[in-house]
Amino acid sequence: MSTKEAVEKFVLDGAIIGMGGQNVARCAVNLAREIIKQGKKDLTLTGCNLSIHMDLMVGAGLVRKCEFGLAGLGRFGATFQFKRAIEEGRMEAEDFDHLTMVSRFLAGEMGIPFLPVRGLMGSDILNYQAPSTKKKFEIINNPWNQGEKVTLVPAMQPDVTIVHVQKADEIGNVVIQGIASHEPELIRASKATIVSCEEIVSTKFFRSNPDFTTVPYHYIDAVIEQPFGAYPTSTYGYYGFDVEHINYYQQCARAGGEHYKRYMNEYIYGCETFDDFLEKCGGVKKLNQLKHEMLRLV
Amino acid sequence: MEKHYSENYAREELMSIEASRFIESNDTVILGTGLPMVAAIFAQKTHAPDVNFVVESGSIDPILPSAPFTVADPIIGHMAVRTGSLRDVLGCLVQRGLVDIGFLGGAEIDQFGNINSTYIGDPRSPKARFPGSGGANSIASCVPKILIIAQHEKRRFPPRVQFITSPGYIDGPDGRKKAGLKMDRPDIIVVTDLCVMQINPNTGRLELTKLMPGVTIDEVYENTGFEPKPRAKMEEVELPTEEELKILRDKVDPDHIYLKEFLKQQRT
Repeated sequence: MSTKEAVEKFVLDGAIIGMGGQNVARCAVNLAREIIKQGKKDLTLTGCNLSIHMDLMVGAGLVRKCEFGLAGLGRFGATFQFKRAIEEGRMEAEDFDHLTMVSRFLAGEMGIPFLPVRGLMGSDILNYQAPSTKKKFEIINNPWNQGEKVTLVPAMQPDVTIVHVQKADEIGNVVIQGIASHEPELIRASKATIVSCEEIVSTKFFRSNPDFTTVPYHYIDAVIEQPFGAYPTSTYGYYGFDVEHINYYQQCARAGGEHYKRYMNEYIYGCETFDDFLEKCGGVKKLNQLKHEMLRLV
Repeated sequence: MEKHYSENYAREELMSIEASRFIESNDTVILGTGLPMVAAIFAQKTHAPDVNFVVESGSIDPILPSAPFTVADPIIGHMAVRTGSLRDVLGCLVQRGLVDIGFLGGAEIDQFGNINSTYIGDPRSPKARFPGSGGANSIASCVPKILIIAQHEKRRFPPRVQFITSPGYIDGPDGRKKAGLKMDRPDIIVVTDLCVMQINPNTGRLELTKLMPGVTIDEVYENTGFEPKPRAKMEEVELPTEEELKILRDKVDPDHIYLKEFLKQQRT
């Protein structure tokens, strides 16, 4: 299945989309770009650290709500389109904490309705909720230890999750190398998952090394091979993140208006395929440089 | 060995070194991006060689040669004993109660040690949106010792934060207990470029415990939205030694990613 076909089939208008990746690492940029090009509407994005792929989708005007732990690009600064959309009242934000979001995905992946966490109590994260949220939380006493309080948070099962990983086979067995963030829970909680990967390997690879499997195929609906599919963010073991392009994106996203429109026209709508986008950003020379940066590390 | 103190340092450098002094060997520390990472790696390279780090995104006990760019930088998993997930670190270590020290920061920090990293203004029509909690709320809720490194500005230290992202003592000594937090009396230490403030668990408020070299109490008050009570035994923050500065500059942050101000001073 191609990226285009997978997004056409599994991402519907109004969907809750689970976002893989975080900060400058393994963001599903290939898939996010395709969603933008197809103009899917009224989306809710959910994840832990929503990063540049979220910002692109918000900047394209596709997102009505985010449910998340944090939005930002670390030392590269804020996710400026996200920030602006909230400050201008164009988008809803439902704030949680990373562990709370992971617990919501964990409940989702185990098919139970909620889980308790020790946090959130005493914070304003509980005092505010987005207008469209029905019930955000419940504080209860531990039935086995009266007087001990916990916060219950509801399971989250996204309609479709987009991730970029190192390896997968044709049927959807997945290997995530390095830091896995919230993705094992997220993928298993989702009703459908599209996997973009650096390389498709044989199923024999998994059957010979079953302890390498991060997530088995049951949860995966489409597998796409797209080398450098997380660019300009990094994929551990394969390539580093592109400081230059991320800085350029941040400049455009911060400036907004015509600057941002120009970025989107040039780098998103103006590039037919993801490979065209890579070519435009510096092609083989740039990608080799990012690859060597990573190989020096591992 | 005789100590050779140096007065040729940038504010960020002494803030990092002072924060590192609160870390002990054998502590398990959850790292954040920025000066906390500088402080923690500095501690490991000097007085606390057996400190171990965890990073919220899933890296457990990495050996960090120098300060990485962000917590998601690929180097964050360097030589770790496990690269796992957010659940491994925030769930199975932080919430489980196995982390000794957490570093936090934010747009606002108030007299009760509450932190705001979410909104300025009414969240329903905010003046400014910040990144949000990340793992900070869990860390603030569950870790017994919280270290905050912040630049000392009046608007950063209001009497009360506009939004509690990460609870300190909320509104007084029993604030956390009333809210239901199991870790009800954590230590909270704030290191700024002017002073060190520490929570008094009996009042639930920050007190002034140390002044940076050459800084007066009045200067602190002029730049703070509340008046942290000076502790009876006020000390001056110890100057860095030449050896410490050399380690910081050459080994901890050799690319001067975090210690930008130092670089600026060198240029002018």
